[in-house]
Amino acid sequence: MSEYDDTAVQTAPVEGASAADTANHPFPELAFRRAESLKMGGEQAIERQHQNGRLTVRERIQKLTDPGSFREVGTLAGTGTYDAQNRLVSVTPAPYVAGLARIDGRPVALGGEDFTVRGGTTFGSTRRKGGQGGFIEDLAHHYRIPLVNLIDGAGGSVTSIKRRGHSVFPGVHGFERSVELLGEVPVVSAVLGTAAGGPAGRAILSHFSVMVRGTSQIFAAGPPVVKRSLGQTIDKNDLGGAKVAVDTAGTIHNSAGSEEEAFEQIRRFLSYMPSNVWELPPVVETADPVDRCDEKLATIVPEKRTQAYSMHRLVQMVIDRDSGFEIRPTYGKSVITMLARMGGRPVGIIANNPMVYGGAMDVHSARKQIHFMELCDTFHIPLIFFVDVPGFMVGLKAEQEGTLREGMRAVTVAGKLKVPTITLVIRKCYGMAGMATCNKNDIDLKLAWPSAEWGSLPVEGGVAAAFRKEIQAAADPVAREREIEAELKPYASPFRTAEAFAVEEIIDPRETRPVLCEFIALAEKRLQADVGLKPRYGVQP
Amino acid sequence: MARVEIGSPVTGTVWKVERAVGDAVQEGDVIMILESMKMEIPVEATEDGVVAELTVAPGDSVEDDQILCVVES
Repeated sequence: MSEYDDTAVQTAPVEGASAADTANHPFPELAFRRAESLKMGGEQAIERQHQNGRLTVRERIQKLTDPGSFREVGTLAGTGTYDAQNRLVSVTPAPYVAGLARIDGRPVALGGEDFTVRGGTTFGSTRRKGGQGGFIEDLAHHYRIPLVNLIDGAGGSVTSIKRRGHSVFPGVHGFERSVELLGEVPVVSAVLGTAAGGPAGRAILSHFSVMVRGTSQIFAAGPPVVKRSLGQTIDKNDLGGAKVAVDTAGTIHNSAGSEEEAFEQIRRFLSYMPSNVWELPPVVETADPVDRCDEKLATIVPEKRTQAYSMHRLVQMVIDRDSGFEIRPTYGKSVITMLARMGGRPVGIIANNPMVYGGAMDVHSARKQIHFMELCDTFHIPLIFFVDVPGFMVGLKAEQEGTLREGMRAVTVAGKLKVPTITLVIRKCYGMAGMATCNKNDIDLKLAWPSAEWGSLPVEGGVAAAFRKEIQAAADPVAREREIEAELKPYASPFRTAEAFAVEEIIDPRETRPVLCEFIALAEKRLQADVGLKPRYGVQP
Repeated sequence: MARVEIGSPVTGTVWKVERAVGDAVQEGDVIMILESMKMEIPVEATEDGVVAELTVAPGDSVEDDQILCVVES
């Protein structure tokens, strides 16, 4: 793996100290111990890590953060070996590297397991460096800065039971701080190896998580436990690779093709986030004029109602150029959730995707939308809904999955939103799934394109149920059904609703960007007034 | 020459195949149209190239992510 050869191990204030020059150091023991920690698990273990297509934790920190910004804490933690005269011979560093660093100039608390030392298993110090309840969590909590977990370990090891003389009750190193942080500062986790147990749980308690396709896996328990518990033989990639964990289960939000790409995604995610909930998200300069009107928006929605179109393309035409960062692009695909910018201001886009099940909300897209709404609400990022939702997904499979319950959870979370929200109906907005696209605690500004249609349910289909007796009694029931449909159809025009001010405005699709940019800019004062913690009460259905 | 496999965005049926093997396509051209949940779902070329393979025909049922065609670019 020659690509890693030139990557000098960096970061400790005394760099590259070798045994030779530690002797001349004014504090030789400090220099020696620092040098020992930089060796990690030794050359062979580092070589193995590289052969497995993975970087070492120190390389990861270097590639993720601003050059030279890593201020390590706990450099000297480890296991010393002493000779017969009790003189230090060597130190095996603790299998966790932690500290403070900067990303795009902003401080973050970060750390990760060092897989080259005992496979990144838990270090038995009274105070943990990282993981749940570790020092970096305290650093993020008390100094109100984002937390980045670089996960590459399987947590506790049974070997510790012998050393300790007893087994530990679950939660001695509990998740209470991890949970608390979810309301305070952005928490990001990258799964960069095989994560099970505590580190796997830690990864889930994040606002954004990413894993590397091919070289990382995550599960509650790995193949040996599955074999023993269920007698099933399964490969670790088949059990917890990105195909299962990201695409199917949504356990982890995004996947990346390489560790470098995972770090790029982390930087990108954090660029939309404030450092904590007591601040507003960062606004940047944009070269894209706020009054830009894309002519193609006028024709992007096909006249034929059953013809799908690309919601991705539509959204891209409206947001600041290249400002979109999709969260969970491969999971719950009937809704698109994307961080983006309008006039340089961060916004959260929730857009139904007519290409996937006509945009119907299923259990996965509901779950995806819930997480994203809570994320944006927590960090004061205004929401824009691009609505084209025919309702909840129907059918036996959907009912077995509990679509109705998960869908109503989406409605519940939408009902508790505090962040400024704009609803823009592109085409369909039906039923309870349609209700999950509005924020009644805000000005409840509902905009629509002329292509919009809405209601409790579409006129077609709805007529058959509502006028059953009349239709059955008719000489030609089919003709009567068509007749009633035709009679009701004109009322479905969005202009009739606008006439009644039951939708606030119908806009020319080409005006979408200027209108949205104006309301998003306007939201700033409201956001400013609402900074801080947002307690959540009550029971989710 | 890069072979790009285009997968189905949904579970549904193939309704119409608009292009034949050997046809030149540009990014965004509709190669076939699927039907799912009473919606027509266009399957577009993801880059410029030539349709090298069609692995489905009209009427076929397709699964989410199933390879529908291959474009060589």
